[in-house]
Amino acid sequence: MFRRTSPFVMALLIGSAMRAAAADAPAAAPPQRQEELIKVLQSDAPKPQKALACKYLAIYGGKEAVPALAALLSDQELAAWARIGLEAIPDSSVDDALRDAMDKLQGRLLVGVINSISVRRDAKAIDGLAAKLTDKDETVSSCAAAALGHIGGDRAAQVLEPQLTAAAPAVRAAAAEGCVLCAERYLNEGNDARAIALYDAVRKAQVPRQRVLEGIRGAILARHSAGIPLLVEQLKSSDKAIMGIGLRTARELRGDDVTDALIAELGRADAERQALLILALADRNDPPRVRPVVLEAARSGAPGVRVAAAGVLDRLGDVSCVPVLVEAAASDDADLVQAAKTSLARLPGKDVDASLLARLNDSSGKARQVLIELAEQRKLDQAMPIFLKSAEDADAGARNAALTAIGAIGDDKQVPDLVKLLPQAKDANDRRAIEQAVASIGGRWGAACVPHLVPLAKGEGGVSADTRIAAIHALVPCGGPDALASVVAATSDADPAVQDEAVRTLSTWPNRWPTDAAAAQPLLALARSAQKPAHRVLAVRGYLQYVQGDKKLSPQQRLADVDAILPQITRPDEKRLVIATLFGMASAGALDRLTTLASADPAVTEEACSAIVRLAGRNNIGASNELRRKALQTVVEKSKSEATRNKAQEILKGIR
Amino acid sequence: MRRQMARVSRRGLLKSAAGIGAAAALGAPMFVPGRVLGKDGAVPTGERITLGAIGIGNRGSYVLRCFLEENDVQCLAVCDVNGQHRDRAKAAVDARYGNQDCATYRDLREMLARSDLDAVIVATGPNWNGTAACQAARAGKDIYCEKPCTKNIAQSLMLAEVMRRTGRVFQAGTQRRSLPHFIYAVELARTGKLGKLQTLHAQPAGLATKTSGWEKPDPEPAKEDFDWDIYLGPAAWRPFNKGLTNAFEFEKGGGLVGGGCLEWGSHCVDLCQWANDADGTAPIEYEPVGNQLHATYANGVKLVLRDDGWLPLGSCPVRFEGDRGWVETADDGDVAASPAKLLSGRRQKIGGYPANFHVRNFLDCVKTRAQPRANADAACWAHIACHAANISLFLKRKVRFDPAKHEFINDDEANRLRSEALREPWRW
Repeated sequence: MFRRTSPFVMALLIGSAMRAAAADAPAAAPPQRQEELIKVLQSDAPKPQKALACKYLAIYGGKEAVPALAALLSDQELAAWARIGLEAIPDSSVDDALRDAMDKLQGRLLVGVINSISVRRDAKAIDGLAAKLTDKDETVSSCAAAALGHIGGDRAAQVLEPQLTAAAPAVRAAAAEGCVLCAERYLNEGNDARAIALYDAVRKAQVPRQRVLEGIRGAILARHSAGIPLLVEQLKSSDKAIMGIGLRTARELRGDDVTDALIAELGRADAERQALLILALADRNDPPRVRPVVLEAARSGAPGVRVAAAGVLDRLGDVSCVPVLVEAAASDDADLVQAAKTSLARLPGKDVDASLLARLNDSSGKARQVLIELAEQRKLDQAMPIFLKSAEDADAGARNAALTAIGAIGDDKQVPDLVKLLPQAKDANDRRAIEQAVASIGGRWGAACVPHLVPLAKGEGGVSADTRIAAIHALVPCGGPDALASVVAATSDADPAVQDEAVRTLSTWPNRWPTDAAAAQPLLALARSAQKPAHRVLAVRGYLQYVQGDKKLSPQQRLADVDAILPQITRPDEKRLVIATLFGMASAGALDRLTTLASADPAVTEEACSAIVRLAGRNNIGASNELRRKALQTVVEKSKSEATRNKAQEILKGIR
Repeated sequence: MRRQMARVSRRGLLKSAAGIGAAAALGAPMFVPGRVLGKDGAVPTGERITLGAIGIGNRGSYVLRCFLEENDVQCLAVCDVNGQHRDRAKAAVDARYGNQDCATYRDLREMLARSDLDAVIVATGPNWNGTAACQAARAGKDIYCEKPCTKNIAQSLMLAEVMRRTGRVFQAGTQRRSLPHFIYAVELARTGKLGKLQTLHAQPAGLATKTSGWEKPDPEPAKEDFDWDIYLGPAAWRPFNKGLTNAFEFEKGGGLVGGGCLEWGSHCVDLCQWANDADGTAPIEYEPVGNQLHATYANGVKLVLRDDGWLPLGSCPVRFEGDRGWVETADDGDVAASPAKLLSGRRQKIGGYPANFHVRNFLDCVKTRAQPRANADAACWAHIACHAANISLFLKRKVRFDPAKHEFINDDEANRLRSEALREPWRW
């Protein structure tokens, strides 16, 4: 809504600073600091020093600093720095100095001074600024007009208003800006009549379109209820900008009569405008008045209007809107469905919950699926029995929605029910949906879910391999030692499919939040002793992920862990992972191992050499010069890249 | 030139309506999953939102790409002081539309003078963002503005005031307001699921304030290659220096107290403001404590800016603590919470802080004239909180702030740091 207390920011800030200074004058400007800074300005010090002195005088300067700062207003390079100091000093001598400079300067420097006068709202400068309105430099005259607006008051307004017709086009635009500023100030002071006169003058003037829009907005707001006809006129416009300012102002202008007028206009508007008006009405925060008409629009409006109306009913609606929204949510119009569902998910009230639950109990088919989704989004725990029942529904849509809902809002108590469903899954899709539901719960409830899954992962009860694999997958988000132990046990399972999946799962076991570094040892064991080569590769990769990712490892332990896996690595692909790991470690030990790798396997020599060059050139890895020389010499001898060798030699030269 | 009212598609209305609808819970529009406005169908050229892009370096290029992905956008012009940036952006835009029509500008004033642009991206860097946004608003453009949007407290207030006065749509580039995991966490805080809110934690990515200065001169390039004068813009003059040409860092915050918590704070503090239903205010007390900055809102809720002790959930983390639970999230898209029940019902995960949803929200609001999620008022107060924190860090002491009066209480030093003069000829 429109705020009558527009701050007129700079005026307020400077004014308050001046008041504060008056109250705390002795503390505001430490004399010694100020004296030193003034001396810098008056000395032959380089300009960078003077620039900084100006900045500090913004804090520590008082009226004693004003002459030294004002002397720089004609300096092309230091003028802006000087004004940084001057604008902040809460003393009237600054205004005197700026007015004095306004009479002497031209061009950009004059513009800067005028802008500072504007910021300080120096009413004594009005006559001087008025004289600048006819300056041949349009930048000067335009800034003068805007400054007059910022200063405001009767005299400024009297000067500015004639310029709306008399000034050159460029200055006219600034005069309009100044008039809008003056009008806004009048309005804040309660002088509505004067504000209206100025706003009207602007909106009727031959000034840029944006100024006209500002005039229209102000003219409506300043009239209050009497501005309704003008508001409605804008809302009927076929001009995008005019309609736009109407829509914006429709959200700002207060009053029940305004809301009523907008509702009346809704009945006269075409469908496209109706939709925009509904959005504006919704932003007026008056549900009792707006709800009936929006609800009717959601029920019987044109398709686009229904979408707009349904989409705002969460803010305006109550339980009375549930039937219309539920019907819309089950319709065939995808946009309407989404809008209605969004509103139903957010519509406040326990009576809304109760209404939806009652409908859910009696529902079937598509409506049931929609209501399950809504109950899930509203986190209705009371719907859990229906979810569980629907998880075995003959209708796949309802079944899937129910499983998703259980996963989304269920807790560990639902896991046994889901586990029971797992062996009965109708197909792979169902099994995946159940698995995801358990995984979702496991991600939130963690170890509490594990006891229900471990028997399935073990294959107790003669469940199928698919079910066992689903259980293994679901253990991952649960995490913790028991889940890990179960997956580790499955890596040596007699069933090859279960074993393969367990190894895959273990190789990507989470090694960040929630941290579970205990996966490292079983991975190392697998890397050493797995019978299938593919398992050994997966184990190596998983292990290296852990070495890279576990932030709790000390540098020594990390290196020891790399050393432990190195003998198991035979393929270049994994050696490259080791090289990346060592490079990330950036230590003397890492450099040493890289040197060994560079010599040991031509397939990875270039990668190792590249890493050596980048590490050996750094002084912060704790490597001795001897080790660095040895590593770089290896690069010189082994690398086939001339650039890498040259770089190594260049670094070698720098090592003494 | 009068242009006919742009048609608003049903899908646009759906998104707008649904997005705004979440205001019931959060007091601000919220992310709604689903297809994107205009994505699924061709939008006639005459009904597209016409766009210009100001500041098209790394970040600006990314944001521009997000806009180019939207079928109801037609980018007509790009503007940058760096000739290479201009050429690269023009090539991207022309490739998107299969023509050579994208105009290039070195001076934003020339581009803003075009009457055929509905909206602009402002990604000029912290020195220029606020000033360029105000210039664009006065020129009748809607603005998607990268963060940090302002250099000081005064500019933050001025930005909000200009947007209100001009009636322009403004979206700050704090795109985490449009990402589901941050929204989820904020919603837990705002709907009482955490109990009475007690402490909010935000990562500032550094708390060292910087004072911008004057480096040794380097040979100044030709204006067509790099226009130093326009690059400096509202910043006080200094000679060309190559090291200062990284607009992402130049004059961040400006004045004596740049840097500090502005980098991530404009995101993370913004999210804390939102979680505390404080989009129209800022903390009233700020104090450096060890390597942290502690602030307190008028409602007693604490705000802690800290760089360590976060769960490994990615960059830009926030944590909200109430007397019945806590939630923490960051850019990975994961959410951690206690009790675990708080995570019930959370399904969607999007990591990597994409701006697409935020851009879409902006475009929808351009059409409906509703307020976007990170509108000027919300951005104003989030930035004020960051600037006030920086002032406390710069002064190395507690400061007390009065959000109603926009001033520090009995503190002339701090009050003088609220604003800084703009170099001629630029003004607010």
